[in-house]
Amino acid sequence: MLRIAAILIALLCAGPALAQRDSTARTVDIERVEIAGVRPMKEIGVQRTVLDSALLRENISSSLADALSSGSTIFIKSYGRATLATASFRGTAPSHTQVTWNGMKMNSPMLGQVDFSLIPSYFVDDASIYHGASSVGITGGGLGGAITLATKEPETRGFAMRYVQGVGSFTTFDEFLRLSYRAGRWSAVTRVLVSTSENDFRYRNYDSKQFVTNDNGEIVDACYPLQRNRNGAFRDLHLLQEFYYTSRQGDRFSLAAWYLDTDRGLALLSSDRNTSREKRNSQAERTLRAVAAWDRLFGAVKAGVRAGYTYDDLRYLMESDPDGQGNFTPVTDARSRIHTLFARAEAEYAPNEKWMFAANVSAHQHRVNSGDLSLIDATTGRRADTLYRQQRFELSAFASAKWRPTPRLGIAADLRWELYGDRSTPLIPALFVDWLLAKRGNVVLKASAARNYRYPTLNDLYFQPGGNPDLDPERGWTWDAGVESSLKSRRSSLRLSATAFDSRIDDWILWIATAKQGVYTPINIRRVHSYGVEGKLAGSTETPSGWRLACDGNIAWTRSVNRGDKFSAADESVGKQLVYIPVWSAALTARVAWRRWELVYKWQWYSERFTMSDNDLGVLGRVPPYIMNDLSLEKNLEFRRLALSVKGCIYNLFNEEYQSVLGRPMPRLNAAVFIGITPKFGSR
Amino acid sequence: MKRCLRNIMLALPALVAGACMEYGPQSEERFDLPGRGVFITCEGNFMWDNASLSYYDPATGAVENNVFLRANGMKLGDVAQSMVLHDGKGYVVVNNSGVIYVIDPATFRITGLIEEVVSPRYIHFVDEKTAYVTDLYDPRISVVDTRTNRIRARIDTDGHKSTEQMVQTGDRVFVNCWSYDDKILVIDTRTESLAGSITVGWQPNSLALDANGKLWAATDGRDGEAPALWRINPATLEIEKKFELPPDTPPSRLTFDARNNRIYFIARDVWRMPADAESLPAEPFLPYAGTLYYGLGVDPDTAEVYVADAIDYVQHAAVYRFSPDGEPLDTLRVGIIPGSFCFKRQ
Repeated sequence: MLRIAAILIALLCAGPALAQRDSTARTVDIERVEIAGVRPMKEIGVQRTVLDSALLRENISSSLADALSSGSTIFIKSYGRATLATASFRGTAPSHTQVTWNGMKMNSPMLGQVDFSLIPSYFVDDASIYHGASSVGITGGGLGGAITLATKEPETRGFAMRYVQGVGSFTTFDEFLRLSYRAGRWSAVTRVLVSTSENDFRYRNYDSKQFVTNDNGEIVDACYPLQRNRNGAFRDLHLLQEFYYTSRQGDRFSLAAWYLDTDRGLALLSSDRNTSREKRNSQAERTLRAVAAWDRLFGAVKAGVRAGYTYDDLRYLMESDPDGQGNFTPVTDARSRIHTLFARAEAEYAPNEKWMFAANVSAHQHRVNSGDLSLIDATTGRRADTLYRQQRFELSAFASAKWRPTPRLGIAADLRWELYGDRSTPLIPALFVDWLLAKRGNVVLKASAARNYRYPTLNDLYFQPGGNPDLDPERGWTWDAGVESSLKSRRSSLRLSATAFDSRIDDWILWIATAKQGVYTPINIRRVHSYGVEGKLAGSTETPSGWRLACDGNIAWTRSVNRGDKFSAADESVGKQLVYIPVWSAALTARVAWRRWELVYKWQWYSERFTMSDNDLGVLGRVPPYIMNDLSLEKNLEFRRLALSVKGCIYNLFNEEYQSVLGRPMPRLNAAVFIGITPKFGSR
Repeated sequence: MKRCLRNIMLALPALVAGACMEYGPQSEERFDLPGRGVFITCEGNFMWDNASLSYYDPATGAVENNVFLRANGMKLGDVAQSMVLHDGKGYVVVNNSGVIYVIDPATFRITGLIEEVVSPRYIHFVDEKTAYVTDLYDPRISVVDTRTNRIRARIDTDGHKSTEQMVQTGDRVFVNCWSYDDKILVIDTRTESLAGSITVGWQPNSLALDANGKLWAATDGRDGEAPALWRINPATLEIEKKFELPPDTPPSRLTFDARNNRIYFIARDVWRMPADAESLPAEPFLPYAGTLYYGLGVDPDTAEVYVADAIDYVQHAAVYRFSPDGEPLDTLRVGIIPGSFCFKRQ
């Protein structure tokens, strides 16, 4: 069984390289080294969660935020589809989760965070989550962790096509097309996704009442109105083009370019008494990301370089028409344009089965132009233009050594150093160890520890008004220890893991009014201690009669506690859980498949989230816990010239009334139908 | 084992069905507090929908938080900006909810509401049947018929948005224009039209009228222009005196102490000065103590001073009550970011 597992892992790690006949001999050399002692050398002591491809391919309407909510212990703060979705990883802030796409940073250099609702899960082929110290191997600044996203070349030879159309509640339409071609040494993939929705779901508004008044303006009746979500309509367009080429000598080239164009309404709060003809908030974003890469195996050395470019054009527009005629004029027109150039060089060297060395260096050059373009003087045409224009060079250098003295034991050390502008972080060290406790059940103990730093964002330093150029990097100490086990038989498999973690973050950057009314300034003030336990479970089995059962679950207990000094004698936030971070969260996805049918049940639970730092238990101090259930049933039909799939989804199965964020009611029971068509072009 | 499995199977449906969902109608509570008291509007966080109204009885020291929600079974909304009592009614201006709620000041129950205002900031009662409402985004001042709570007219402000506080002398209402502006507008209440303006420093953030009938304004200042206090003759519209402050400490929250004819303001510390002073005071009334003082109020009957400390802006804030001599009298915990005080007199 061990041998089979080793071969499987080798195949997974080798990936596309193994598919190339001419480079096979070279590939095996290094990959064999990586699998010594069953576990890949690269992953000694690393706490990594791989998002299951079934989860990523759940629905064309799913974003990475949905996949992360179901498939990991990361808490996603979101208030519905196509709204800002940010991550809290191990009780940290959104900017403490670093995200890369094909090796290039995705975190906004202005805000430091990533909006996961803007990443369609169908556009991601590989998604890995690196918890805590394990993120140091990916990038610096991941005080909570890091997420790597990647595209990969198509597996199907010849021409392939898949088209999926979805129609859902609230006038929601999704269209997805994937075209791929693979022949000889090159391949190409094109993906297009278009989503539109009125997103005007109905909800009972328990936050604000509807009043009936008489001619004297006196209230004569009141009720909680049944009303529609206002101004939540959205339109998203995503286009992804990839090319792959492998030379006879084993050089692998790739180019991936992803363009997104979104226009999203920001729904009015439930207590807002303006109508959608009086006030409108929207956010439009156009982003192009492109990464070109080369890598090659030279026996025991694997080398690669990458180059990329990101253009991001963000526009937040607030418009009003006091007369309620829908003749809007802008009152805020915040515009940000960001250009980022990216370059990376990397090398791995494995001289024998016991040692492996890796080094890489990444550079990002950002140029940001940010301003409020709203007209403040109609007579002179003067615009507000209060924000900033800045450039910043960022460099991240990394080296690691991994040693497996015996098949049971692995030890690794990482070292990273980061430069930002004319300042640098101290060295970022990380240590990893794993120990194969028992071959039976493949029981592995893992532990890691790291000192980490996250440097301030451009907004932190330069935003006008309020930016603070004297900010220091946030400093984090983190360690974790866990056990994992995997069992596999001919028909069944089971993976279990449990990890305890403990992180302390000093100089946490907090925006607060310090000197001037109405002006917030970031300062290094907060100290946070976050600790907890994460558990994961994944199992599958197939019965002799052909039933296939699978489940994937996770649970997290996360305490994220303010350990800072009091702001004033009256401060009651010290020792309390940070806002909007649930102490408990859990998710379970169960699949039952039989012949060409598949039933998927998704269950999610979040404990209460405090909305006040003193953890008040009143209506304004917390968002109540909620449990959410979704169900889908899919039928695949095979015809001679095409394969057809029909899928029905029911969301919020029990028609719950709930909020995930204060003032943001969520849709009640709703549904969608997806039809997928995969023509058969006689692929060989 | 079988029993354990059966128990799990029985518990599962409750868990799955979401038995612990709590979102629903709010209960309503009866209040009857007709005596003297202080309303404290707590802004809450912008776009967090967590504004609230607190009520304090200085005689007993009792504080009732979140009284609007508790009395009415609904939230106050987003950013409670200000409150005024007029003719036995309380008018609570909720800026980012586009509404002014009219409440009974003893029961806190809603008795009416003024809508069709996009981003209201302050309400000022011109006479028994007319009120003006300023707006952050509308370059007009809304005129409300207070008998019906309906908008009766709009006064064009010649493109000046971000109209804020209002004070009145005779037939003139003065309005400061804050965001990206440097004007104090003059409204003629007889014609309900713009009658002129006074140019002061960059971004006048607050306005007050002293017992001598003089108009006071506080300005933020900007690069090359010091923040300042301005004393203006409202009859001639001339600036009588300009008190410049250090660049990093702009004055705000101008508040008038009617009993002693003094002006209070926050400029990092809390300051006060006689209305006829010719220079800024040397010592503050209350020194800065780590967090920025956010709100300021002076009881018109007792001259006691209320100073709000928003702490970290996401918790129950503290309000410190002082005697006119600066003696600490009480500390109360109110809602998030208390911005203004409204005194209920008997």
